[in-house]
Amino acid sequence: MARSTKVVASIGGVFIALVLLAAVFAPMLAEHPPTETTGLPFEEPSANHPLGTDDLGRDLWSQLLFGARVSLSVGLIAAVIATALGTGVALVAGYRGGTIDAVLMRIVDLVLSMPFLVLVLVLVTYFGRGLSVTIALIAGVLWARPARLLRGQVLKVKEFEHVVAAEAMGASLWRILGRHVLPRLTPLLSSQFVRAAAVAVIVQSGIAFLGLGDPGSVSWGATLFFANNSSVILTDAWKWWILPPGFALTILIVGFAFVGYAAEEWADPRLTGYGYRRGMRRTLPPHPAAPAGEGESLVVRDLSVHYETEPPVLAVTSVHLRTRKSRILGIVGESGSGKSTMAMAVAGLLGPPGRIVEGEVVLGDTDLRRLGRVGLTKLRGRRFAVVPQAAMSLLDPIVTIRRQVAESALMTHADGKKRASELLSRVGIPVDRHDAYPHELSGGMRQRVVIAMAIANQPELLIADEPTTGLDVVTQRELLDLLDRLRTELDMDILIISHDLRMVGGIADDLAIMYAGRIVEMGDAAEILRSPGHPYTELLLNAFPPVLGPRRPPVPIPGDPPDLSQVESGCRFAPRCPKMVDVCEETVPEQFPVACHLVVT
Amino acid sequence: MRRVRRLALQYGLVVLAALLLNFVLPRLAAGDPIDYLMPPESSPLVTPEQREAILASYDLDGSNTEQFVTYIKNLTSGDLGVSIRTGQPVRDVVVGRLGWSVLLVGVAVAASTVVGVLLGFAAGWRRGTKRDIVLLSGVLAVDALPAFFVGLMLLLTFSVKLDWFPVYGAVAAADISGWARVTDVARRLVLPASTLVLAGAGSIFVASRSALVSELGEDYVFMARAKGLNDRAVRRHAQRNALLPVSTAVLLGFSTLVGAATVVETVFSYPGLGSLAFDSVLARDYPVLQGVFLLLALIAIGANFLNDLLYPRLDPRVKDIG
Ligand code: SF4
Repeated sequence: MARSTKVVASIGGVFIALVLLAAVFAPMLAEHPPTETTGLPFEEPSANHPLGTDDLGRDLWSQLLFGARVSLSVGLIAAVIATALGTGVALVAGYRGGTIDAVLMRIVDLVLSMPFLVLVLVLVTYFGRGLSVTIALIAGVLWARPARLLRGQVLKVKEFEHVVAAEAMGASLWRILGRHVLPRLTPLLSSQFVRAAAVAVIVQSGIAFLGLGDPGSVSWGATLFFANNSSVILTDAWKWWILPPGFALTILIVGFAFVGYAAEEWADPRLTGYGYRRGMRRTLPPHPAAPAGEGESLVVRDLSVHYETEPPVLAVTSVHLRTRKSRILGIVGESGSGKSTMAMAVAGLLGPPGRIVEGEVVLGDTDLRRLGRVGLTKLRGRRFAVVPQAAMSLLDPIVTIRRQVAESALMTHADGKKRASELLSRVGIPVDRHDAYPHELSGGMRQRVVIAMAIANQPELLIADEPTTGLDVVTQRELLDLLDRLRTELDMDILIISHDLRMVGGIADDLAIMYAGRIVEMGDAAEILRSPGHPYTELLLNAFPPVLGPRRPPVPIPGDPPDLSQVESGCRFAPRCPKMVDVCEETVPEQFPVACHLVVT
Repeated sequence: MRRVRRLALQYGLVVLAALLLNFVLPRLAAGDPIDYLMPPESSPLVTPEQREAILASYDLDGSNTEQFVTYIKNLTSGDLGVSIRTGQPVRDVVVGRLGWSVLLVGVAVAASTVVGVLLGFAAGWRRGTKRDIVLLSGVLAVDALPAFFVGLMLLLTFSVKLDWFPVYGAVAAADISGWARVTDVARRLVLPASTLVLAGAGSIFVASRSALVSELGEDYVFMARAKGLNDRAVRRHAQRNALLPVSTAVLLGFSTLVGAATVVETVFSYPGLGSLAFDSVLARDYPVLQGVFLLLALIAIGANFLNDLLYPRLDPRVKDIG
């Protein structure tokens, strides 16, 4: 949970606690009973009546304290009933589905769209004004919202593996619901509970303010009703008659609202996460970076990236690499090796808490790190382009693909739409699909659209981060071939990131192998595939046997990647390395050409 | 088209349910229909002839089924019965108030949507910053103020103390016309409408902020940055998507506002449906109450129907599923 939310939640907690204290200690703090005439009508505040008296000579201070009891109990009891009812409906509707679900949800929609207060008002007239009736009626209206939201959650939870497994093993319905489904609903349930409590308090006070509350009980709404009836705002008495109960109500409702908001964040983790920041603190090298050398285009020197979490994670350490003009550089490593982080850092797409702590990034003669966020945005999509992982939802779901490609094309072309169609055809999207929405296309097609956007402005460099992950093998092959073809046609160089050494090795000219944030080996692709220098590369090759040639079973690399929050004291690969010697644990091997003590140059 | 037909069918059933509810509820509560039509308080005011007339107009001597058939028949011909309090036809009473309610709630919905969405998006875009925290806690706090308390305070400050706005009513007198009438109506609308905006903008703010924050975490937003769009263009993508859930929040907020309007209309003596409902509750004027209830139910159902109908235009993904 974000720090700001914690602050909000604790303020809310304090407010509710205040009201709770008033409710509990009311008899001790108030000298007079709240409903009896203990003074003259319309008395001003005095020692005897700290807030004066109302039109019937009843003590307002006492009404303020005892009013807390009504509001608090209405809020809590109505919320308990409403959420219980809502949960029941949600479980039945979500779990049973079908017609029951459809009917229940229509009812929920109807209740939801009815004006609460009017509904309760009408019902109070029909069913009577007692407090318990009011509570029941409020709950009878408030259950719909939790029911709707919880049903959605039930639908999701139902598909979870362990729930499906429990079902397959013949667990009883009650057991599944109680043991597996209900616990998953807790965050949402609690946020809906608090919300219902707040609304219940508002509705009850509204009804009491209209003079339709329980005639026998004191409540803040009722106090305000009498005040309004006596036209108190035309006199000075509003200061002690209207303000205190008004603020008391506010404090309680704010308390519920704040706690409820925090619970909502708890229920929906997407609402947490790192906030907006203009980018993390930049620490730039003292001197401008030297331009790229002859035949080179992207040059990365001594790049280190940390995730500034607690404890910090050293995701990328002292990476050196360069791409050559019109060549493909493949970066290969297991997940967690820092290859994506490195690529996103180079492209300026690293969000907080990631931060470049050191190093230079140069494209041709442009020092990318000195450009700043805005400057880099202006180059991205123009001089260099990025194709992110083939996720299902890289495209805006409510905009046609042609318009999305046009958005990129417009940066350098006047007629964006026409150019977009050319680009889409070029990456192999049939003309009749150009005006499709993303959800109407297959995963492979969508990734082609992403490639079309990337090449829209003829970039010098294309950074592709696992561009084919999650797609079937045939589609992967096709996309890689497409990239290879475009590279030649457009004369651009490509930095391609993958966990699949063989697949990338097939099209790459150069390869860099990454392990635990460092590049452990870099060189000519064919050379590395033939005779790997680093022990890790060797094991990686065994883990991906060649597609052609003699069949060998894949040999997984034993052990786990190291914990990158620890500072390295030797070779990061040592715990898993079959060739480890003493010096490996004491000295960090340098990157070039192979970061291994056994390989001597 | 099939989707529209299915929706229409579903909503037809809902309307029927609302009609049934409106028919059954008062009968459930009041027991004897005579009691329901003639509450003890108002009985002395009603002559035996009137009593007969009312009974006849409702066919209350028949069985429940017969009564329901008559009730539906009367409804289809626009006959909602006669007000016990004033003796006017309920339809005229309700329709006469409807205009003011539409004006008040309409202005409030529009204004609170604009305010809520703008502030919500501003806070969501800068989530976690000081601006966001201040906006969020401020709006939650203002939202928590009970509408009648806000109304009383505004009345106290701007009408009683500062004397900027008239205290009561929707228009000074029935006979003023032209521009004078327009400005008078507008002046009297300011305070009740502001009260409703303060009461209603909060939920839309929270919904907009949450929607934008979760959209900003989506892959397509990352893609928008990756393809080199500037902040404004990225924000546009996220906001357009965030508006989808917000439209539902506006709908829900609408019903909250109609409810709050009841209280606010009472505070400002504004002649809308809310204060009509309230007066009818006090006078136990059941026919009018039923009329108001029915009208509000129909409006709410209509708003839902409209939302379901228009949503696919906003979200292309829904067309295929529907
Ligand atoms: S330095 Fe040592 S531990 Fe590291 S890869 Fe080489 S041999 Fe293995």
